[in-house]
Amino acid sequence: MIKRTLAVALASATALTLAGCGGSSSDGSKSSAAGTDAGTSAAATGGAKSTAAAAPTEVSTKNPTRDKSADLVIWADATSAPYVRQLATQFGKANGVKVAVQIANDVRGQYETAFKAGQAPDVIVGANDWTGELVANGAIAPVQLPADVASGFNAQAIAATKYNNQTYAVPYGVENLALVRNTALAPTAPKTMDELVSMGQKLKKAGKVTNILSDQVGKTGNAYNGYPFLSACGGGIFGTKANGDYDPSKVMVNSAGSIKGATEMAELGKVGALSTNIDSTNADTLFATKKTAFEITGPWSIPAFKKAGIKYSIDPLPSVAGCGPMKPFLGVQMFFVSSKAKNATIAQTFVTSFLTTKSAQETLFKVGQRPPALTAAYDDVTKSDPDVAKWAAAAKGGKLMPNIPAMNSVWGPLGQAMADVVSGKSQPKARFDKAQQEIVKNIAKG
Amino acid sequence: MAATASTREESLTSLPPVTTPWWAHLCKWGVIALGIVLTFYVATKLADAGHTFAVIGVAFVAMCGLLVYGTRRAVPAKYLFFGVVLLVGLQVWPIVYTAATSLTNYGQGHLASKEDATRQDIAYSVQQVAGSPTYTLTVAVKDGQSISSGDLYFLLTDNKGQTYVGDKTGLKPLAKDSVTLQAGKIVKADGFTTLNLLQANKRKDLGQFAVPTKDGGGIKASGFAAAYEGKPTLDWDKKAGTITDTTTKQVYVAKDAQWVPKNGKGQPLPVGWKENVGFDNFRTIFTDSTIRGGFLKIFIWNVCFAALSVLTTFVFGMLLALLLNDSRIRGRGLYRSLLILPYAVPVFVSALVWGSMFNQQFGLINNLTHLDIDWLGNAWGARAAILITNLWLGFPYMFIVCTGALQSLPGDVLEAAKIDGASAWRTLRSVTGPLLLVAVGPLLIASFAFNFNNFGLIQLLTQGGPFNSGNAQIGSSDLLITYAYRLALGGTTPDYGLAGAVAIIIFALVALMSFPGFLRSKQLEEVN
Repeated sequence: MIKRTLAVALASATALTLAGCGGSSSDGSKSSAAGTDAGTSAAATGGAKSTAAAAPTEVSTKNPTRDKSADLVIWADATSAPYVRQLATQFGKANGVKVAVQIANDVRGQYETAFKAGQAPDVIVGANDWTGELVANGAIAPVQLPADVASGFNAQAIAATKYNNQTYAVPYGVENLALVRNTALAPTAPKTMDELVSMGQKLKKAGKVTNILSDQVGKTGNAYNGYPFLSACGGGIFGTKANGDYDPSKVMVNSAGSIKGATEMAELGKVGALSTNIDSTNADTLFATKKTAFEITGPWSIPAFKKAGIKYSIDPLPSVAGCGPMKPFLGVQMFFVSSKAKNATIAQTFVTSFLTTKSAQETLFKVGQRPPALTAAYDDVTKSDPDVAKWAAAAKGGKLMPNIPAMNSVWGPLGQAMADVVSGKSQPKARFDKAQQEIVKNIAKG
Repeated sequence: MAATASTREESLTSLPPVTTPWWAHLCKWGVIALGIVLTFYVATKLADAGHTFAVIGVAFVAMCGLLVYGTRRAVPAKYLFFGVVLLVGLQVWPIVYTAATSLTNYGQGHLASKEDATRQDIAYSVQQVAGSPTYTLTVAVKDGQSISSGDLYFLLTDNKGQTYVGDKTGLKPLAKDSVTLQAGKIVKADGFTTLNLLQANKRKDLGQFAVPTKDGGGIKASGFAAAYEGKPTLDWDKKAGTITDTTTKQVYVAKDAQWVPKNGKGQPLPVGWKENVGFDNFRTIFTDSTIRGGFLKIFIWNVCFAALSVLTTFVFGMLLALLLNDSRIRGRGLYRSLLILPYAVPVFVSALVWGSMFNQQFGLINNLTHLDIDWLGNAWGARAAILITNLWLGFPYMFIVCTGALQSLPGDVLEAAKIDGASAWRTLRSVTGPLLLVAVGPLLIASFAFNFNNFGLIQLLTQGGPFNSGNAQIGSSDLLITYAYRLALGGTTPDYGLAGAVAIIIFALVALMSFPGFLRSKQLEEVN
């Protein structure tokens, strides 16, 4: 009797195992550590960044489940979701369709997981640096923007939607780092880094502040915040191909310009303007509590400063002595359409016909106050919000954040090299040579 | 033995038959019916998603359940069935799945089959034909045809205002007087029924539909209201197994599960496919110099971390338990509840809070002690910080367990020790200690296994760092599990196959190390 029971149990067990082969996937490993990965979170969107810094309890690993009753499903992060929902309601009413906007804490990771399981939403809100990875996975569909529509957008925002000569998204906002200054503590904007340091040191001596500058470095480094130092001196991360795309085979982390920038970082580390003790958890707090007069950050930090009642000004990043002005990475926020969208027609219509309108772009401006990608909308919001033009001025000369998957193997090694240089553990030249070797090796491994 | 058994059986059969009350039957069949309804629901969900094997599996399990619980037979199975199903579903299946994945190249850029991946590559190569107009589109079917299945027609207006009708044979001009235009879009046409957005969306063939134009191009819909003339630049020659880019004349061949340029110049096509790679992932782990170099160092720290975590939390928890077990202390209940608090706070929160407390410049610890230790930027500092945090997180558990065990110790042996004149230390060492270990020994081993893979703590506190100069893969405070995570999922291309292989090796290591521990705990039981 027992033997037969066991046989039945075992047979059912085997059947279940076989059944699983056709069905579920069990790799939640990527999303289980959502947003904690040093490299990608450093480069992640402002929205993700600010939520992570604000309340750790919001870091949930729970995947949203696709709303099956809707005719269009959109996943967005918590910051953009309210405004996307507003637009979705308008679109739904005008076309008689039901739209669901769902919040995902880690849109990129959760989308990829859902995509593998065949449960992906139709549209996601994301940043331009996701493109290469999503294309490699075959997870997003090309988008056709007619030439007359595309020409209405900021040229760099349109460039950001392209990968291998194909357009993959509709942009809505441009974001970049700038120098945010407490005007009560520092009435004039420093033109150079040296000026900034001497102003900061004076304030520190007078006991008004504890830190010269707040700029995220952290113990494992932050290549996104460190990049402007490299670009100031003509360095950078990747060279470009003839068509302007980034070329993963041309890593320029140890180019003369990059090393010059790294040397500047080391100098700033010595005087205490840069510090590995400042990271995503305390950078904004330092500025908001008036413990520093300057912070290098993006539009996502502004709501916290407004809440703290700080009088601030947004200035372009200062220039580095012996080099030029620091130029930040440009991140472009955009809407992607899933390649396996269950409602492809509605999704494409929503993205290409509806989101390209001025009123939609102006609504999306309210997501973190990023300068709108559509020129007409940009001109409009500049009139009511003086910050917008300032962010755009700080973006001048900046290059797009690389959207090639090879960028994934840069964040870690380059960030750590920057942290080691700032803390004085290593010499810039030797350390960046090593980082270059490591990055090239990792890219070759694929 | 045999005789007693048979007499017992006799006495059992001689008892009057037990009659089950009617409500018990009702309950039983109610629960069974509920179970069937539930599995039916699951099966329909799976059928919706198209998982044929899963549906068969669920049906099979449901039938087995019915057989086991619906009949009077198979009494032992009634106890085992649920456990076996859960064991297989939650333990055996993940291991099998992980093992199967470790033999593939499944990972970023290698998710789909070769067929699907190539189709996607070709779809990505579609470019708008140079100089072609953009059309305003209306999707329609012929009058009298079904909206959901009739042949599709594109009613198009180009930017000069010319109107056309396109079907699967080609594009023809459409007389302007037969249509009604609204802002350049055809809203009505004689002989056609137009589709609205919702109706067009339901036509899943719309995505594949193209009005053929010359040179292999086609007019395709972009959404519901616009169309463009597009043409793929890639041409897949299935027989020859090559793909040719018609604009650059570049030829691609299949290699390493993706299409790479035949002449070796240029980038491969973006989408690759999933294929079996045998034991390649295991070979990588054992032969790659970076992986091998870091492995031993990380392994040693991993063992030390797990052992020290267990030791420190256990000793601290036990001492507190012994202290608060003394009946002379007043308000023990209050103290005990307070000590359990760290256990009640989620690790997410406490690890992040401790992380900021260890900050060199702004952290509470350096500020209170007036030290200037670079806790998280120095290898030993980071390790110490982790152990201190884990002590805080872990001692309440040990405290609870020890308190429970202490209260269940037999009073007579302690009394005997007292009568024999044993000192407090001697009692602890020879009586309380061994008896306590019997009770908590297996828990210590479980705690060791848990800490061995304590991913969350490391990831939240140090992310494995600080990293050695020139190698951002191997962190000073990395555990094998965080190392594997970075290696497999944090690189250029997240690789689930490699992650699976590392997970299996870690599984084997933990099993090998826990085994002697469990053997020893059996020996402890023999003390009794």
